[in-house]
Amino acid sequence: MTETGAGRPVEPGDCGPAGRGDDVTREAVLARAFVRLADTLASDFDVVDFLHGLSADSVEILRAAAAGVMLADGRGGMRLIASSDERMRLLELFELQGAQGPCLDAFSSGRSVQANAADSRARWPDFAPQARDAGFQLMCAVPLRVRTDVIGALNLFRGSDEPFTGAEMEIAQAMAEMAAIGLIQERAARERNLLTTQLQAALNSRVIIEQAKGMISEYLTMTVDDAFKVLRNYAHYHNRRLSEVASDVVDRRIPSAALARHGPHF
Amino acid sequence: MPEDGRRTRIMAAVTSKDAAAGAEELVRRLCRFAVDEMALSGCALVLMSGPESASVLAGAGRHARTVTGLQMELGEGPCLDAHAHGIPVLLPDLSAESANRWPTFAAAALAAGVHAEFSLPLTVGHGGIGTLDLCRDRTGMLSDEHMADALVTADIARDAVLYQQYATGGPGLPELLAATGSDRIVIHQATGMIAAQLDDTIANALARLRAAAFASGRPMYDLAQDVVERRVRFDD
Repeated sequence: MTETGAGRPVEPGDCGPAGRGDDVTREAVLARAFVRLADTLASDFDVVDFLHGLSADSVEILRAAAAGVMLADGRGGMRLIASSDERMRLLELFELQGAQGPCLDAFSSGRSVQANAADSRARWPDFAPQARDAGFQLMCAVPLRVRTDVIGALNLFRGSDEPFTGAEMEIAQAMAEMAAIGLIQERAARERNLLTTQLQAALNSRVIIEQAKGMISEYLTMTVDDAFKVLRNYAHYHNRRLSEVASDVVDRRIPSAALARHGPHF
Repeated sequence: MPEDGRRTRIMAAVTSKDAAAGAEELVRRLCRFAVDEMALSGCALVLMSGPESASVLAGAGRHARTVTGLQMELGEGPCLDAHAHGIPVLLPDLSAESANRWPTFAAAALAAGVHAEFSLPLTVGHGGIGTLDLCRDRTGMLSDEHMADALVTADIARDAVLYQQYATGGPGLPELLAATGSDRIVIHQATGMIAAQLDDTIANALARLRAAAFASGRPMYDLAQDVVERRVRFDD
């Protein structure tokens, strides 16, 4: 996971640090991202941290304003697992896509989807206005696929109406596929039961993180957005996994005084 | 959300006859539904607070109590692991290598005529209250459709057990359960806040939130937003 990871405040319209004409930097960033995507065999591998990293990397490399990863929940729906920043407004935008939006389309068709402001209004009449209100005009989703199984989608937003180029879409697709392969072990892809188990574990992790955000926001009297930063800062500082720290918070194994030392503006 | 359609369909199947069912009766019907719908030889809901204290709340099918009974007796088995780790344990073939983790259990289950076992944890984020166990007298994985139905059945059963204590004297359990959307992000955040306010467990906090939403006639999502934005507290 990058230092600029999950909680990096990205304003709509922000194109990220890898601007145009900076191809050398972009290539280097891309290379580092792929190395991280391949590094899923470490003993401390964590699905949520891994997908937070994917979201943050894709924002930087593809000059997006925000990104998020949704996975199939095994019940016929999709759920958000990680996003490039954790503002509630953005989280709700991902959540809406359980019913309608580019993520759901990419997931059910298995193909990449891209739409500008006008296209998206026609295509997703409920979702597009909400995205616009949150400051996003261009939206795109690419499937997370392992062999023939689509397990979720990577969602990208831009504040401007400038479409992702063909090359950028290819990069997005490559990152998404790399992540899917890394996320779902080869054996899991062959055995449906392992696939279900791994996805369920990822969903549980996300639920626990939200519960922990709520607890921290109550203990330290702050917004849930700031509570996430505390959670992330604490995990970074102690070099621990986000979902593991979240479990400890929910089980009251970390005193609130210890959490208070970590932010949110640390 | 698409899964809400599934939840609505399953709820309708188990509450159509008699809307005044309590948790135990509702769970029994859910087990019956699973047995019929997924061609199982047994289905049981097991409540657990630890490996030593497990009890079958309700079941259906001729193998309803077989699998649970064996696991309690032997002190090993997939449902204990599903509960401990909060993830499903799916064994489409108990004679296969994947069942070797529980050698004594697998052999005993096969001897009793059970060939496939699927144990779904009743989780509330971290930690759970038990499992929904499904078994078959033949090998084979559940289809995607059946798996989706089974996961939603387990969700409803979990909610029924959780909300039961807050349903007495108030709204009927089926009405309480019919309110959908319990898996929204803001609801989990509100649950964490309420647990901190009441110094109680996540499970109890979630049950309180749902009961309060129902009692006030408001969607759970709206009340959860009020909690997160500090317009409503539960410790007043």
